[in-house]
Amino acid sequence: MNQMTDLTGNQSHPMLRVSDLGHRVNLETDTLTILQGVNLEINRGESVAIVGRSGSGKTTLLGLLAGLDTPSEGVVELDGAQISKLSEDERARLRASRVGFVFQSFQLLPALSALENVMLPLELAGIEAPEKRARELLERVGLGERLGHTPRQLSGGEQQRVAIARAFASDPVILFADEPTGNLDNRTGKAVSDLLMELNREQGTTLVMVTHDEHLAARCGRQLHIEAGILTEPEAAREQAS
Amino acid sequence: MQAANKLMSVRRDLRERDVRVVLVALIIAVATVATIALFASQLQRTLVSSASSFLAADRQLEAENGRPIPAEWLDEARERGLETGRMVEFSTMISGPEGFQMASIKAVSNEYPLRGEVEIQRQSPGGERETLAAGPRPGQVWINPRLLRLLDLDIGDTLQVGERQLEVAAQLVREPDGGFRLSSLAPRVMMHVDDVESTGAVQEGSRVELVYLFAGAQTALDDYYQWLEPRLEPSHEWEGVREGETFSRSFDRAERFLLLGGSLAVLLAAVAVAVASRQYALAQRDTVALLKTLGLQGQGIGRLYLRRLALWGVAGVVGGLLVALPLFWLLVGVLGDALERPVEMHFDPAALLPALLTALVSLFAFAYPPIRRLRHVPAMRVLRAQPGETGRQALPDLAIALVAVFALVWLYAGELALVGALLGGLVLLLGILALLGLALMALLRRVRGGGNAWRLAFVGLYRHRQASLAQLSVFAMTIMLAAILILVRTSLLSDWQTQLPEDAPNHFLINIGPESVEQVSSFWQERNAPLENLYPMVRGRLTELNGEPVKEAVSKDERINALNRELNLTWMDQLPEDNEIVQGQWFSGDETEGVSVEADLAQRLGLELGDRLTFTIGSARVTEPVVSIRTVQWDSMKPNFYVAFPPDGGLRDMPATWITSFYLPGEAKGALGEFSRQFPTVSVLEIDHIIERIQEIVGQVTQAIEAILALILAAALVVMAAVVSATLRDRQREGALIRTLGGRQSLLVRSTMLEFAVLGLLAGVLGVVAAEAAVYVLQARMFDGNFRWHWQVVVPLPLISAVLLAAFGRWQLRPVLSVSPMLLLRRLE
Repeated sequence: MNQMTDLTGNQSHPMLRVSDLGHRVNLETDTLTILQGVNLEINRGESVAIVGRSGSGKTTLLGLLAGLDTPSEGVVELDGAQISKLSEDERARLRASRVGFVFQSFQLLPALSALENVMLPLELAGIEAPEKRARELLERVGLGERLGHTPRQLSGGEQQRVAIARAFASDPVILFADEPTGNLDNRTGKAVSDLLMELNREQGTTLVMVTHDEHLAARCGRQLHIEAGILTEPEAAREQAS
Repeated sequence: MQAANKLMSVRRDLRERDVRVVLVALIIAVATVATIALFASQLQRTLVSSASSFLAADRQLEAENGRPIPAEWLDEARERGLETGRMVEFSTMISGPEGFQMASIKAVSNEYPLRGEVEIQRQSPGGERETLAAGPRPGQVWINPRLLRLLDLDIGDTLQVGERQLEVAAQLVREPDGGFRLSSLAPRVMMHVDDVESTGAVQEGSRVELVYLFAGAQTALDDYYQWLEPRLEPSHEWEGVREGETFSRSFDRAERFLLLGGSLAVLLAAVAVAVASRQYALAQRDTVALLKTLGLQGQGIGRLYLRRLALWGVAGVVGGLLVALPLFWLLVGVLGDALERPVEMHFDPAALLPALLTALVSLFAFAYPPIRRLRHVPAMRVLRAQPGETGRQALPDLAIALVAVFALVWLYAGELALVGALLGGLVLLLGILALLGLALMALLRRVRGGGNAWRLAFVGLYRHRQASLAQLSVFAMTIMLAAILILVRTSLLSDWQTQLPEDAPNHFLINIGPESVEQVSSFWQERNAPLENLYPMVRGRLTELNGEPVKEAVSKDERINALNRELNLTWMDQLPEDNEIVQGQWFSGDETEGVSVEADLAQRLGLELGDRLTFTIGSARVTEPVVSIRTVQWDSMKPNFYVAFPPDGGLRDMPATWITSFYLPGEAKGALGEFSRQFPTVSVLEIDHIIERIQEIVGQVTQAIEAILALILAAALVVMAAVVSATLRDRQREGALIRTLGGRQSLLVRSTMLEFAVLGLLAGVLGVVAAEAAVYVLQARMFDGNFRWHWQVVVPLPLISAVLLAAFGRWQLRPVLSVSPMLLLRRLE
């Protein structure tokens, strides 16, 4: 985890700070506002759920927070680094060393075995002996016997476990999860989210999760709601209503 | 079904990359094959008519005995729709104010020439040249410019031919049938055939050659010859362009090259269609599963896709023809430029047949099988992704496709050797590929990842091992096909160039008396046109073979011209550079006996080393054993001899004259007049016009070959693009994911380009090796050239292929780099 210090120099800042974030998409005839006026701070080790209906803008927000996309306006500071000021390559380096991802649709490469899929981020980060670390992680998620299987030969739950192993492979400080149980049945989803929470605790990772599953959201330390591109915290919302 | 049909509309189709590739491949296939076929047929026609003009007709019938052929033979020809004409050739003395000169007379009928044109000059000197498709009128002659100088004549003067006075109406610059015949050594006088009798020059027993000219459709000519053949006597000789030694080789090879090009176009297009439609079928599985879920049955799905395939076929054929026709028109224009004369456009609808067949076979043997299997896609796929196709299912498809395409090539080229060579090359290639693939994978397995682009590239190759091997095969095959064509073209062109270099001899000096050899030699030495090869020449007839009269010793079926006329015999101590001993040994320094015989003649006579040949030379007889058999370059424009003796051998006491050929540049031709005055007995044979014509034809064929090569290379590029774009989605997804997981852009770009470059290099090396193997067979069987490694192709081609593929790799990364990974992942989901 000591790699994270070299970009920021200290750890006194929050893990994620967002101010006045807005995002618009230009359509053929007019402009669609997807996010507006988002302000947010997430501290180290926190687990945060962003809850909202389909189309509310939550996945877009996640992408912006993770530096996968750049916002139309506002600032995202990830671990002290202003994302929109970074070049594409600098953002990539940041992701390689500090960010992990879990996607709703797993996003495993079909041509690669489970082991190779987990090795990929390790190789990209230039970590020595990537195979050993990948094996350990796959054993940790209970797939020690399926190392050579390709995604096609694995069930949905198993695929997501491979994806979780991959997400933790490069020791990220923050993990972004986009509907991690969205494509899974209840029981499998429960098992996968258990695994995710467990690993998160073990590794002391900050977790930002997007979901529409209230139960899953309830397992996080903090819940945010998003509707029509506007982010609210429940307490604040209640106060506003009263 | 309306919605389903809409789903299947061509317009919608066009939005799919794979369909576009199938269509482009089809269009290119149809366009290439149609253009080649149209152009080949045009070229053949132009070439034949160019070459035909060497005979002034399509066919000639020579009566060497000087007796007219029966009138019914000519009637029969005319009844079959053939044009006919007549010429009488003989040598006689002519005279003008300045004395006498031996001349070679050609008397022509009104129809002459049936093909080609005569070039004359009515004012001398420097007047305008005229080309016309006619000979002189009765009462007039056209004469070789040298005769004007020799006899001190002017245009308008009278010339005495035998007992007849004829008006010199023009200088004869070029005659279309100015072929190379030793019987016409003296300068030419062309007159009308009706005047021959009144000259009194042709008497009973004088040496006269009657030549009948025929022209018309190929089939009519063939039919007529079938009718004529049993009636011909030994002194009759039927001559067509293709039998002429000078052109037939170049001509044949050009034709074969075109066929080879066409066949390769068929193969390449088939590969492109196969790759793209397979990819299309894979991408269609979800749609099919959905349609099935909605209740459409397997049969209905089959029908839907079949109809769509037919639509593509129509679109491909129409598109292909729309490309082919202007291209053809353009090529004919290029041809006209090359020839510096307008070429009559000849559109042969039958030439479109191979193109249509190609489209049909490509669609049904290559595109249909994977699409047909779509109806077996389970509806369950909607809910859960099913395993992809296994290789085993695709194997029968491959077999069907291979058989189909080779049948097509066979049908197209009609050459089993070609099919064999291509098939052999491919089998060899696949064999090497299988071995190499295994070795490579074993090697790559050891490479483990890292941030280094090289390692990442190798890891990438290993990870996509299945796709990598498949791509490697297709690339190697494509490169092999393109390389075959480049190699054959290169050796074809260089062969032609060495055959007829710029300074090929264009004048012959014949009948140089032994006493003037020195002087003649120094005459030209002083004028910077040195004579390189001076050979003594003795005329003699081959009369006996091992003591038996030669006509009895040789089978009656073999009509051997060499036996019907006097042969030019020579002696020499050195084997001419372009001759090659195939059996026996060349004379040692002080050899006094033996002869060396030309290989073709030896074969036709069934000669073996040690056979004793008897020659009748004047009243003498010489008998010598065969000590060597050698090949001769008949089209080298140098003096060539069927039979050579050693310098101190059987010919040593025979009276000989010398013969030579040399290169005289056009601007130095004026010296010929002086030469003829100084050496009146030496005959000068001017063949510069013939050489110009040959070079013209070679130039024309070269243009065609270049154009076709360009087309094929375009087809090869499409195949490569098709194959690369087949894995586009996977690669883009991977690229997006690598970026999401923190891979830098530059790393991604470098490793991808390296991966493709390695693939391209391997494919290039394999392709050229397989191509050399195929060319080895082709050269030996079809182009009778000599095989050697072609470093100028073997080295750069793999490099070009590496660079090209790296560029393709970079190109397909484009969307991955320009769009945020988030967007790309969503789009690819």
